[in-house]
Amino acid sequence: MDIEVKNLHPLEVKLLRHVSAGEDITAERLVNELDYKIGQCNQAFSWLTAKGCISEKSREKYTLYELTETGLQQAESGLPAERIFASLAENGPQSLPTLAESLGLQQSDVGSAFGLLSGSRTAAMNEEKKAELLSSELPEEIRIQRTLLDRAKTAGLLKEAELSDKERQAISKLAKKRGAGSATFKQVEKEDVVYVLTEKGSEVKQALLKANITGEEFGQLTAQMIQTGSWKNGTFRPYGLNAPVSRLIPGRTNAYADYLQWVKDKLVSLGFEEYDGPLVVNEFWNGDALFMPQFHSARDIHDVYYVKDPSHCRKIEEPWLSRVAKTHEDGGDTGSRGWGYSFDHEFTRRQILRSQGTVLSATQLPKAKIPGKYFGIARCFRYDQVDATHGADFYQTEGIVVGKDVNLRNLLGLLKMFAKEVAGAEEVKYVPGYFPFTEPSIEVHIKHPVLGWFELGGSGIFRPEVTKSLGLDVPVLAWGLGIDRMALMHLGLNDLRELFTPDIESVRMRRGN
Amino acid sequence: MPKIEVPEKLFFSLAGREYTDDEMNDIFPVAKAELDGREEGSIKIELNDTNRPDLWSVAGVARALKTYESGEIPEYNFFSSASKAMDCGGRVHIDDESALGIRDFSISFAADGCRVTEDLLVNLIQSQEKLCQNFGRKRKTIAIGIFRSDLIKYPVHYYGADPDKTAFVPLGMTEKLTLREILEKHPKGKEYGHIIADKPRYPYLTDDEGETLSFSPIINSARAGAVQVGDENLFVDISGPIIDDILLAASILACDMADLGFRILPVKVTLARDTKYGREITVPYYFQQETSCTLDFVEKELGLKLSAQECIDALRRMGVRASVKDDVITVRCPEYRNDFLHAVDIVEDIMIGHGLGRFEPVMPSDFTLGYLSGAEEYSRKVKKIMVGLGFQEMMYNYLGSRKEYVENMHISDEKVVFIANPMSENYEVVRPSILPSLLESESVSGHAVYPHRIFELGKVCYKDDSDNSGTVTKNNLGFLAADNQIGFNEASSYVNTLLYFLRIDYTLEPADGDQRFIEGRAARVISGGRQIGVYGEVHPQVLESWGCSMPAVMAEFDLDLMH
Repeated sequence: MDIEVKNLHPLEVKLLRHVSAGEDITAERLVNELDYKIGQCNQAFSWLTAKGCISEKSREKYTLYELTETGLQQAESGLPAERIFASLAENGPQSLPTLAESLGLQQSDVGSAFGLLSGSRTAAMNEEKKAELLSSELPEEIRIQRTLLDRAKTAGLLKEAELSDKERQAISKLAKKRGAGSATFKQVEKEDVVYVLTEKGSEVKQALLKANITGEEFGQLTAQMIQTGSWKNGTFRPYGLNAPVSRLIPGRTNAYADYLQWVKDKLVSLGFEEYDGPLVVNEFWNGDALFMPQFHSARDIHDVYYVKDPSHCRKIEEPWLSRVAKTHEDGGDTGSRGWGYSFDHEFTRRQILRSQGTVLSATQLPKAKIPGKYFGIARCFRYDQVDATHGADFYQTEGIVVGKDVNLRNLLGLLKMFAKEVAGAEEVKYVPGYFPFTEPSIEVHIKHPVLGWFELGGSGIFRPEVTKSLGLDVPVLAWGLGIDRMALMHLGLNDLRELFTPDIESVRMRRGN
Repeated sequence: MPKIEVPEKLFFSLAGREYTDDEMNDIFPVAKAELDGREEGSIKIELNDTNRPDLWSVAGVARALKTYESGEIPEYNFFSSASKAMDCGGRVHIDDESALGIRDFSISFAADGCRVTEDLLVNLIQSQEKLCQNFGRKRKTIAIGIFRSDLIKYPVHYYGADPDKTAFVPLGMTEKLTLREILEKHPKGKEYGHIIADKPRYPYLTDDEGETLSFSPIINSARAGAVQVGDENLFVDISGPIIDDILLAASILACDMADLGFRILPVKVTLARDTKYGREITVPYYFQQETSCTLDFVEKELGLKLSAQECIDALRRMGVRASVKDDVITVRCPEYRNDFLHAVDIVEDIMIGHGLGRFEPVMPSDFTLGYLSGAEEYSRKVKKIMVGLGFQEMMYNYLGSRKEYVENMHISDEKVVFIANPMSENYEVVRPSILPSLLESESVSGHAVYPHRIFELGKVCYKDDSDNSGTVTKNNLGFLAADNQIGFNEASSYVNTLLYFLRIDYTLEPADGDQRFIEGRAARVISGGRQIGVYGEVHPQVLESWGCSMPAVMAEFDLDLMH
C-alpha cells in the first residue's frame, strides 16, 4: 500500500472509518452523520478520490430555487401585484404614484405589477388616469406564485423537478441566477455526487483501524492545551514534511554590498586603512597631482564629466599647487625634466566628477604615515555609453603602500597576495603596463579557476614627480583591482548594470556564491 | 589607447621573423602592446603606452620586437644634431614670421628610393593619423602632410596667409576655395577648423613657385598632396606650436620610412624664431638629451642588484644605448623616442629588458594596522538595524535625469549638481538624495510581493557654499516602505526604533512646505540642534509622477551628522 496512513488528514480518517464498502457516500450524509461542513465534504472527497480510496458512482444535476431576502419579505407581506390588488379592492381607483407612495413600493415595481394585472384584464386605467379593478379575482399566474412562495417558506427551497409546468413558468418570472438580490427566488444549479469506497479505500480503512488512528489526534498545539495540560490526553497528528511552504520576505543585505564588504574586510585584515572622499573633485587632484599632463587625452571633454555649477573650485591648497605646477613645467625638485609646457592655473581648478579612484591616493599622499597602507573602494564616473560592460558610474578598488624601502619586488609580492587572497587564483603573470602616474607600471593577470586568464589589475610605483611634489620622499606602491568581473561571477550575473538594478524582486532573490 | 591594424606579411618581414598568436601574446608586452585580434592576413594591435608614439605603427612595433630579440640597436645615419648638420642637397624650407602666434613651426624632410605600394600607403597614412590624433592632440600640436616631391621647387615657404585672398583646390574636391571657405565647406575644415579659425592669418605652405602644398593643419592641396601607389619621391611636412613635439614626429616618421626601405633626404629648415636648438635646423634632427641614473637607484627601485653590464644589456634590448662610469648609467635616448623624463624611466626599461619574470615577488615587510573608515563602521551599524526591521538593502547608480531627481520629486533644482557635458539626458544629474532612487525601485517593482521595505546606504551630493568646491558629498541612509495600509505611524515606528538603537535623542518638527510629503504628515528630525533627517508619507503627486500606485512612507538621514 502506497499510502502512509498517519499522514491522512482528520477529515479523510473520519470519513474512511465511518463508511463501509458498498454504502453510498454523499455530502448530505457526511453533514448529517459526521457534522462536516459542505466545504469539508468537498475537501475530503477530492483528496480521497485523488488517492484512489473512493470513486464516483453517480452524478446528477438539478435546479433549486431558494427564497431571497426579498422573497422572504414578499412571502410575508405579499407580492407587489397582490398588494396593489388589495389596495384597489379596499380603497377604490388610485393613480400609480399614489399607490407607490402608500404601499412604499418603487415606481418601477408598481408599473410592472400593474402591467401584469392589466394584461390579464384584472385591472385597467380609467379616464382619470387612475387604476381600477375589473375583476374580483387575482390572475392565475399570481395565485400560483403565491402557493410557490408559501411552499418555499416552509420547505426553504423548491426542487425544479417537483414543479408542474405551470408552476415552472410562474417561478421563472420570479427567479434569477445571478444578482438575485431584488428577485424573489435565486436559481441554483446543483449536482448530487455519490461516492463508494474502493478496494484500496477498504484496505486503508483496515490499516487505520489497526493503527488506531481516529482522526481526533491533536493538530495545532495551543497555549490553552499547555496551560490546561489537555495535551496529555491524546496524541499529536503527524504532519506531511513535504507540504508546500509559504514564502517569507526577510530583511536582507544586498549581495553586491556583501561582496564589497568582504573585500574591504580582507584588505583591512592585510593591514590597509580605508580612505574615502567626495564625488566632485578638481582637475588638480584628479589629474595634475598625478603628473598627468593637462593635455593628456584621458582628460578630454569626452572622457570626464564636467560639473556645470560651480564649474571651478575657489582655490587649490598650497604648497601643493605651486609644487605640482612647477613639476609639470620643468620637473621642479623631483629630479624630472617635467612636461615642458606652461601649467594652466584656471584648468586645474575645474571641477569634475571623480573619474578614477587614484584621486583618493593623491589626496592621501600629503598626510600619509610612513610606513602606511591605504585603500578605498570609490564610486567613479566616466564618459561612456552605458551597456553590459560599462556603467554610468562604477566602483574602483585602489590603494597605496608607503614605505622607506618598498620596491618592485614588493609590488609583485603584493599583487601575488591579492591574486590569492582576493581573487582565489593560484597562477599569476606580470606584464609591463602603462599608467601616466606610475613608473615602472605592472599589470597583473591571473588564472581564475572559472574565468581563465584575465587582467586582475594595474599597479606601479608612483612617479617621483607625484610623490615628491606632494611632500613624500619615499617610494609609494600604487595598485588598483578590477573586482567587478569577480563580483558578477560571484553573483551569477553577466551584465554590470545588474549590480545597481532597482528591481526589488531581483535583489530579494539574489544570492552570492 | 591607440589601436593599429597591420598587414601580417609586412609586419613579419620588418620584424625579421614570423610569430604565432601565442608567441605574440608572450612578446608583445615588452612593447606594452596587446594582440587585439588577427584575421585574413592582418593583425590588430593595441598600444598602451601613450608616451611612446613611436610604437603606433607597423614599423615601430616590429622594430621594438626585433631589437628586443636580437639585442641589436638599429642605426639611422641621416640625423643631424647640434654638433653636425647633414647635407641638405639644396632642399630648403623657410618659415616666415607671419606664422608666429598662429602656428609657429613647420619643418620637413624628403624621401626617395622606394615605390609606394598599396600596403605601404595605408600604413603610412595610419602612422600619420595616429601621430596627429593621439600624440598631436587631434592635430592641435602636430599636423602632418605627405606630398609628391617631384612637383616641388625648393625652397618651400611656410607663412601666415590671408584667409580670404588665398585660394586653392583642396584634396577631395575639384573647385578652388579660399582658406575661409575650406573651413566652412570641406569636411576636414569643419572637423579641425576650430584650431585656427579665430586667427588673423592661416598657416600656409607653398613651394618656391607658389604651388600650394597645404593649408596646415587642415588639408593638403589636391595636386601636390595626392600621393598615390607608384610614387617614389615624397616630401613630408610637420607643423605645430611645440618644437620638440614636431621634431619627434619627424624623427618617428623618418625612422619608420627608413625601415620600410626609403632613403631619407634631409631638409634645412629656417625657423621663424629662435629655439633652444637655434633658428636653423636640418631635419631629421636628434634633439634628445642624455639622461642618467645610478646603479644604487636601480637596485632601490627594483629590489634586485644588477651589474653595470646587466643594465647595459637590458637597455640594449630596449633599443637604448647606455654606458656606465663610476656606477652612473648614462643613457642615449633612441632617435624615435623622447620619454626619459626621470631616472625611473630608465629603471623601467631596465626592468623590461632584464625580463619581468626574473624578479622574485617578496612581501613588503612593514607592519601596519588596518582600519575601516568611520563612515563605513557607522553604516554597517545602521545596516544591521535596518535589516532587522525587515528592510531589503538596495544599491543604485548615482547619475540620473532631471526628470527623476528634480521633476518627479517636485523639488527645486537650486542645490542640484548638474553635469555640463552630459552624454545623454538620462545621466546628467548627480543624485542629491537617495529618495528618488528608492522611488524608482518602487516604480519598476509592482510585480514584487508587498509589502516593500527597502533601504540604501550611499552617497549623495549637492551644492553647499561653505565648501571650497561649492558642493558636498554626504553618506546618507534612505528607506521606503510601501503597502496597502501604511502611513505616518509606521514610519514613526521605524524612525523611533532606528534612533533608539543608535542612541540618538531627537525631537520632531513639522516638515511644512516639503512637497515630497503630504502636508501635516511629515517631520524633520532634529538632534543636537541640527536637522539630521526627514520622513513622512509620500505625497500622491510624487507617487503619480513616478507611476507608483501603492501608498508609501520614506525617510532620509544624514549619517555624517549622526556619528
